[in-house]
Amino acid sequence: MGDIRQSLLPRDVLSAAKELLYHLDIYICNLLQSGRQPPQVDTKTLELVEEFILHAPKDRNTSARRMSALQELQLLEIMCSCFQEQSRDAVRQLMFNALFGLQGNQADESRMALLGKLVSMAIAVGRVPILECAATWLQRSHRVFCVRLAQVLVDDYCSMVPGSVSTLQNIHSASPRFCCQFITAVTTLYDLSSEELTPPTELLQMIVFWIQEDLRLILIAFLNTPLTGSQPISSLDVTPLGGLVRWCVKAPLAYRRDKKRTLPSGTGETGPDVGPLFSALHLSVLQVFMLLPNILNEKGLFGRLALLQMDSLATLASELSRLLDQADKQTHVSAADTQALSQLALDRLAQALQVAMANGALLCSREDLRAICSRLPHNNLLQLVLSGPVMYYNNIHTPPLAFSPHAAHSPIASHPAHTPLATHPSAHPQYASQPFMTGMAFPFRPSH
Amino acid sequence: MSVAFDANPVKAMQSTHTHTPQTPSAQELSQEIKSFINGIDVAQGRKLSVREHARCAVRLLRLVPACRGAVLEHLRGVYDEHVSAFLHHLETDGDSSSGVSSNLEDIIQEIHSVLSEFIRLNPRAWAPLVSTWAVDLLGQLSSKHAGRRVAPHSSSLNELLQLWMSCAATRSLMEAYSQCLAAMLAWCPDACVDALLDTSVQHSPHFDWVVAHIGSAFPGTIISRVLACGLKDFCSHGTKDQGLMMMVVDKGSRVPKIGSVVGILGHLAAHHSDSIRKELLRMFQESLNPSSPLSPTSSSTSWESSPQLRRAAVPFLLQLAAMSPNLFGAVSAELVDLLRPPVLLQLQTLLQGIPREELDNMLGLAVHLISQSPSGGAKVLRFLADTATPASVIISGPTPSPHEGVREGCDRLLQMLLLHLHKLVFNRTDGVEVSPHHSSCMQPQRIIPFLEELQSHISQLCAETLRLERKRHLWLHQLLCLLSVYGGLTVATEAFCQLLTQARNPEELALAWQLHTMLSSCMVGLIPAAVTRCVAQIHTHTLGPRQLKQLLLNLATAIQSQEEDTKGLQSSMATQVGTAVSGHLQNFSGLLLHGDPTVSHAAVRLLSCSPLPRTSSPADLLLLSRAAVTHFFLVLRKQSEGTKAGRDGGQGSEAVNCSVKLLSRFAAYSALTLKAVLQQLIEGALHKGNTDLFGGQIAEMSGAPLTSPSASTDPGVSLLDINCRFGTAVNFTGSVWSVFHAGVIGKGLKVRTATKMPDPSWVIQNVQTLLAVIIQCCSPAGLNGSINGSQSQDEPAPINAEAAKVVAVTLVESVCPDVANGELSWPPEEHARTTVERDIHIRRCFEAHPVLFPLLQVVAAGRPALCYCSAVLRGLLATLLAHWEASREALSTDSPWHLQASCLLVSCMGEGQLLPPVLANVHEAFPHLSPFEVRLLLLTVWEYVRGNGPMPQKFVFSPDKGQFCRDFSRDGDVARYVAPIHSVLHKNIDRLGHLCWRFQL
Repeated sequence: MGDIRQSLLPRDVLSAAKELLYHLDIYICNLLQSGRQPPQVDTKTLELVEEFILHAPKDRNTSARRMSALQELQLLEIMCSCFQEQSRDAVRQLMFNALFGLQGNQADESRMALLGKLVSMAIAVGRVPILECAATWLQRSHRVFCVRLAQVLVDDYCSMVPGSVSTLQNIHSASPRFCCQFITAVTTLYDLSSEELTPPTELLQMIVFWIQEDLRLILIAFLNTPLTGSQPISSLDVTPLGGLVRWCVKAPLAYRRDKKRTLPSGTGETGPDVGPLFSALHLSVLQVFMLLPNILNEKGLFGRLALLQMDSLATLASELSRLLDQADKQTHVSAADTQALSQLALDRLAQALQVAMANGALLCSREDLRAICSRLPHNNLLQLVLSGPVMYYNNIHTPPLAFSPHAAHSPIASHPAHTPLATHPSAHPQYASQPFMTGMAFPFRPSH
Repeated sequence: MSVAFDANPVKAMQSTHTHTPQTPSAQELSQEIKSFINGIDVAQGRKLSVREHARCAVRLLRLVPACRGAVLEHLRGVYDEHVSAFLHHLETDGDSSSGVSSNLEDIIQEIHSVLSEFIRLNPRAWAPLVSTWAVDLLGQLSSKHAGRRVAPHSSSLNELLQLWMSCAATRSLMEAYSQCLAAMLAWCPDACVDALLDTSVQHSPHFDWVVAHIGSAFPGTIISRVLACGLKDFCSHGTKDQGLMMMVVDKGSRVPKIGSVVGILGHLAAHHSDSIRKELLRMFQESLNPSSPLSPTSSSTSWESSPQLRRAAVPFLLQLAAMSPNLFGAVSAELVDLLRPPVLLQLQTLLQGIPREELDNMLGLAVHLISQSPSGGAKVLRFLADTATPASVIISGPTPSPHEGVREGCDRLLQMLLLHLHKLVFNRTDGVEVSPHHSSCMQPQRIIPFLEELQSHISQLCAETLRLERKRHLWLHQLLCLLSVYGGLTVATEAFCQLLTQARNPEELALAWQLHTMLSSCMVGLIPAAVTRCVAQIHTHTLGPRQLKQLLLNLATAIQSQEEDTKGLQSSMATQVGTAVSGHLQNFSGLLLHGDPTVSHAAVRLLSCSPLPRTSSPADLLLLSRAAVTHFFLVLRKQSEGTKAGRDGGQGSEAVNCSVKLLSRFAAYSALTLKAVLQQLIEGALHKGNTDLFGGQIAEMSGAPLTSPSASTDPGVSLLDINCRFGTAVNFTGSVWSVFHAGVIGKGLKVRTATKMPDPSWVIQNVQTLLAVIIQCCSPAGLNGSINGSQSQDEPAPINAEAAKVVAVTLVESVCPDVANGELSWPPEEHARTTVERDIHIRRCFEAHPVLFPLLQVVAAGRPALCYCSAVLRGLLATLLAHWEASREALSTDSPWHLQASCLLVSCMGEGQLLPPVLANVHEAFPHLSPFEVRLLLLTVWEYVRGNGPMPQKFVFSPDKGQFCRDFSRDGDVARYVAPIHSVLHKNIDRLGHLCWRFQL
């Protein structure tokens, strides 16, 4: 394949790229037919791709030829039809990989730029094969690059072109796998740690719409991936569950902070209130957790695969505690408001923990949870979740298999045993930490 | 791979369509993209017009985000096309079909509205994109079409602006950019200004109109942003220069932005100089403030947060100032005011972190700037000098205070400045000298604005220099030198004059000499010019009495320095000063009579030591002599009053000495001056106003009726009546009207006005002074100055005969009003009756002016001058004879004045060798005799003189004595006149025995 370079050199930029694509297609078909395992595109070819399609500078001396934006658009158009016309999935995958598989060299920048445009265009003109390839790419690539791709798409469809979010929204029926990976990437990208890293409302609405439309969308990548344990290092999570939990838990506080920040300037976007959206999202997430036992059991993975990682939960807990601290310090909003929002965040965390634990998405002991949540302020529900069903399970280290979430409340509620701490926490409710006393019955207080 | 949903993509697509019917289907979009790419309507298979193509592009822009780049690129072409059409239309004056341009105008409007909507909806995403695009396109368009016929030249900014703003395409781009900028200013203003600057560099100068327009639309922000960008760029280039560059790759090729920063600011300076100045100063101040990274205002983009940038700010500002005189001018004036001690400390700490070479560069730059600053130079200089002047020795301890560093820095700066100016000044003159063929107007001399400006501050500079503060005066003095060399003779003259006027002691005056020494090598005629200038100042009365005094004293000191140090460096200069002053003697002489005594004193000091001109017009000399004499009397009166009041006698006597010296020198100058001086001295001494100085009484002595009647005491007598009666006021001497001198007949004797007698001691002193002056004037030694003054101590220098004659003649003129009977030879005693009137007048004169006798003695000493006083002597003797004849007193001592007058008269005549010694000695006997006997002896004297007339030709010059002598042996026998003497001796032998030997022949 390397011998075609000489014939490509004299061509103009666009026709050279076109010709290379053509040759690449044939080459990969041949490669697959030869039946070599695994099918591997050789380095020569990759170099040709970098030189004639990505226009990465080959060496210092020769300045790279650049395509104009128009030529680039033409190339994208050609690529779109090329992938569309190729009927064989494997060829498409190999080709996509040859073009956009990250090589860890300088060409990666132009690769990412081209990929962003290609996927964006594929979304616009509905090229499902490309989206499928992109979904695979998102599963295999380093999360940093995945996040960058997601960023490009969010920019294109949620902020740059008004009204175009519907185009993206329509994708979920065409390529749910891509949507699933997209959600994972987006939740990784927007961790609500700052204003820039807060998802645009359009995006949020779209994701909620997607998930409400089909709860299993979240799990599609997980369902379609053969769990070989060969998950590439630092790739995205298998499911967006962790990221979504983080969104739901942090949202009350994060958005409150944003609101406060944008209010004085007076120009802050007064979009629709995101509160209900997150509530809906939270519900959906909990519902997805409830779907898990069946799926896991089918795969025979129940109790063996943790879809929620312990360390990400620990990070979430510490971030939450920092947010709560900040919320306490900033007394711009009324204290009652702050208090309510904090409790909402903690409630959501508790709910998520409980449901995840109960449905086998989170594999850990309550001791571990207590350690993680020790710095969080007091919350009734969280206290409940952390203390666990002490009355019925003497050995709290036993994984609460198939534990019904509804069962968690009733036994303790019916046992308001001693009330030794009744006065103390109520004196400073917002500063009351989460001291856990082993063996001590939890004093239930219906309301503060 | 795909398990669940890969099955039927087409169905999925269809479901997509049903969701959003208003948006075109993916299929349609795909078609649209194809159409756009190929420029052909895919459905109908025909070529798209420009307009349709553009519409298609806009649609894609709205629908397919991925096409953004391509669409914008395509739109560039559309805009370009419109501009071409527009310009073509202008060029053909609209006679061609203008359809294309109008067609495109609406599509451009469409594009603009879409873009503007996008920017409005999502400024964060679109503003950077569109602004870069718009600016780039603007740059490209203005460069590309710069050469068109209708396009005005790039220097005429306003025309350019008008042209482009009338074009829809460029106007739309400009509006879009303004919109972006307005949006972006809130959060990332650097980016957009960066793009602006980059493009400006790339397309300058055709792009200037854009910057100008934007700049005037957003003056405040643009200015500060342009500065911030420039600073960043400067910083990165600066680090590159130091070899610390981290990112080597693509920065090397970039042109520094500072050029366009200067250009833009320079353009804005026309209308927004105030805000530019504020911004520059703010930048300076902020760069000094200690870093406050947590300050709420500073975002991550602002330069204040980076210590590296803050450190670069000062060099950057210097660089800016160096590149644009406009900016520099805007800042320099106020910058100095900002440099208070705390700011200086901050500046110092800031600069400490900068490497040595860079610091040197900065210093060099600063020096260059100062030397080029057209205004505020004086302020800068004062600031530098103030700061660089060390604190007093007592305060600065062994450990240097924090200010010490600042001070040293300033010191260094100042010295470099002086060095720099030195180079400039001397290279400049060198250049002129090297090419003397080229006329100076053809190649104008290089102007050094700093010095230009300081030229108007010379007097302050001089004043500060003269304060002699440590170090400071050295700097300032050096600067004065440079200024003088730079400004040529006029400036040098002024500086020199100022120093001369303002110096108050020898140390300070030495600065003037130093200045002269330094300038003398390159300047001719400085001193004469300076003196001329001083004189001019005197004439215009621009100097106060104090300054005037100082100036005169300084000039005097200058001249005197020659005497002290005959072969030093100063001698030539002293000579020059002397010559120059002597040229203006008459001007200085006017000052002798200045109302302020200190000034006149200073003037006399100066005149007394200045050499006299070789030639001078008699009128000047006379004026000078008159002034000198008048001054002498004034000083004398001052001294007397001073002694009377018991204060500053020393100063008074010093003034008198000076005056005496001046008079004697002046008298020695020429015969004319000698005569004038003596004449005026005598006349002055006898003048009514001065008589009291010498113990005289003011009494009418002229005998003229005009002066005699005091109307207040004699209301009954009207001079008018008298004059009417006789029709004339002629003085008929000896007539009845002469009675007036004693009173009006019928009214009794005139009441003598009671004059208060002055203190005899100072009368004596004054008389002595006067005599000393006259003698000094008369003595031939006066010609040689005071060299043989010591010799005259032992043996009084002989009085010059000629001078004595002048005195004599003057005496006669002033004492004796009547020239009748003025011959030298004496008539018989009886004839004296014809001259009674005159004689009385003479006697009264002597009564009123006791000083006359000493003067007579002086005349007598200058033999044979006394001969010319013959008339006076005769008159006096006649009245004395008449008195003694009429006297009925028992002893001569009963009329003391007459006795004294007689004694003095006779002794004078003896001294003047009008009488032989035997006869001259008779006065010794007078006090012991009766009036009649005195008369006898005086008659003998008369007889002798009548017999042996007082003729000058009887005197012969004897070289051994150095004066004229009379040989009495040639005259008649003395013995026949001695008989009455002997008779009187006999008669009073009891009392006069001891005197007998005096009358032996």
